[in-house]
Amino acid sequence: MKRFDFVDVTLRDAHQCLWSTRMTTAMMTPILSEIDRVGYAYINILGGAVFDVCVRYLHENPWERVRLLCERLSTPCDALTRGQSLYTFELFPDDIVALNAQLLARLGVKVFTVYDALNDNRNLESSVKAGREAGMKINGWMTYTLSPVHTDAYYVERTKELLALGMDFLCIKDPTGLLTPERGATLFPAVVQAAGKIPVQLHSHCQSGLAPQVYEVAMNSGFRFGYTASEPLANGASLPATEEIDERAQRLGFETSMNRIVLKQIAGYFRWLCEREDKPCGAVAQYDAALYEHQIPGGMVSNLRYQLETMKLSHRLPEILEEVARVRRDLGYPIVVSPFAQYVVTQATLNVVQGERYKTIPDEIRKYAMGYYGRLAARPSNEFLDRLNLKSSELITERPGEHIEPRVPRLRAELGASAGDEDLLLAAFYDKTMLEPLEKPAPAYRFRTTPLHELVSWLGARRDIEYAHIRFAGTEMTFSA
Amino acid sequence: MQPFSASCNHIRVADRDLTYEDIVQIVELIKSTSHFSEFRLKVGEIEVSLKRADGVRRPAAEMPQRSIESPAAEPSGKALRTFTQDVRLVRAPMVGIFYRAPAPGEPSFVEVGQSVAPDSIVCIIEVMKLMNSIEAGTRGVVREILVSNGAGVEYGEVLMVIEPGRP
Repeated sequence: MKRFDFVDVTLRDAHQCLWSTRMTTAMMTPILSEIDRVGYAYINILGGAVFDVCVRYLHENPWERVRLLCERLSTPCDALTRGQSLYTFELFPDDIVALNAQLLARLGVKVFTVYDALNDNRNLESSVKAGREAGMKINGWMTYTLSPVHTDAYYVERTKELLALGMDFLCIKDPTGLLTPERGATLFPAVVQAAGKIPVQLHSHCQSGLAPQVYEVAMNSGFRFGYTASEPLANGASLPATEEIDERAQRLGFETSMNRIVLKQIAGYFRWLCEREDKPCGAVAQYDAALYEHQIPGGMVSNLRYQLETMKLSHRLPEILEEVARVRRDLGYPIVVSPFAQYVVTQATLNVVQGERYKTIPDEIRKYAMGYYGRLAARPSNEFLDRLNLKSSELITERPGEHIEPRVPRLRAELGASAGDEDLLLAAFYDKTMLEPLEKPAPAYRFRTTPLHELVSWLGARRDIEYAHIRFAGTEMTFSA
Repeated sequence: MQPFSASCNHIRVADRDLTYEDIVQIVELIKSTSHFSEFRLKVGEIEVSLKRADGVRRPAAEMPQRSIESPAAEPSGKALRTFTQDVRLVRAPMVGIFYRAPAPGEPSFVEVGQSVAPDSIVCIIEVMKLMNSIEAGTRGVVREILVSNGAGVEYGEVLMVIEPGRP
């Protein structure tokens, strides 16, 4: 019997898309043992935004989270980096990229997933080499987008490049849910054929509402794995629900190993977490034709809304989304995914707010046009190039990692012998001041909980309640202020 | 405040374990009745009775949101400042964060009294995590730097004052 297996994204991309990545480690630990035994083949625990939000907003040490999750989960853990950019938007030297891979392997990561936002696979070379040397399985992603240049043949070429680097898995990542069953019907068999014996995975978001059908096409085309999330944190800008895809797989005659009863317990917990934390659950998205123009990925939409709100610019969102489509064309069809999603969205916002296109061009966008981050998919528009006024001496054609000086020796010298690799890497990514809050001790984590326990804790934390009495199945409790 | 009391038959808490779905419904009920001083719920096996403090200890959601209102007064204060016709102003292109130096610990792009050319970079504005190098736009001498390093700036806010002319 043909098999279809699942990779969990509830602890990573699901809350990145629906909660602006704000799920803390303490919110994960009570449900880990259920996630571990429900039947996932792999559990994705880390990505660029998770790492960055841990440091900037949650004030959690991301290495501690990785260590704890890998220790607690016997299901192999998967960690995702943005290739040469790792967790941030900058490019890092090869020695930092290598040290990061070694550290992840030491912390217990089994599958090292890498992608490059330009699909310039030269940017994965250093990660793949270091990851394999550190003993991890390598999973190479290529990012799907819609443009005149991103054809099936384009993705077959990228597949061949990834295979040449040496892969244990290949994955088509569709950050904005742009795939349709029709496109899947031509693209998927082409990629599966080019991949040969290497198992292929699908990672697609639900913004167009079409992802569950697209997953069916993937299964029927020979894909072996699908990334999914627990139902309350699935759909919308997130990925499809494990429950739904499992049902579809079984109906199509695939053998799966998901335990429905445990899936229900996990879903119950996350449904409650949405209520307790006042965060949204995922809702099945209505078809939205504009999505195919602006292509803004899951995490970006909720972030953009939030940022526009803080700038009191919410009313200009429709205009900005329209401008996003034009900017993307001007820039040579970058894939609207981190970090280029931010570039396109920020440039579009600047163009709209300033009332003049390309009056201000962020430094990073200039560097992008120079080839600093890698090869562009297509030539930028003349209007944009004229405003940029690049000199031919500024153009870069070599592998981006080549032009970045090694940094590990200098950081070792600065930080002294007592600093470990974890501190060294954090210092490579962030200013000292941003790292200070990470020194606070981690809270005592709870590794199991029950609905009754949750209800009592919730009541106990309400400052407006001065007396509570609960009676349930022979248990009776009273507390008063 | 009036007491709230209900027995809700649509929540089925049978002789089994309490589920997350049950507590989501119970909590939704508690939240939706926050204007009542007392809450009593009996559904199947579970009974919840609550008394709310009135007056002083109101739920956080009903507290006046002072933290949001007070900083709003600031930008209008800044806007009151007027400048003479003979100076050139360097303004923020967008809402963002103002940085005087290319990186933490490095020297500032410019100091007060320093001469600048039109293409001299005088500061950086970080907009949605992207860095925008801001040029002086005019030849002259930096007379004033109005924003401190790392501060948030509004769209169009004056960052620096440059007195035009050849030094």
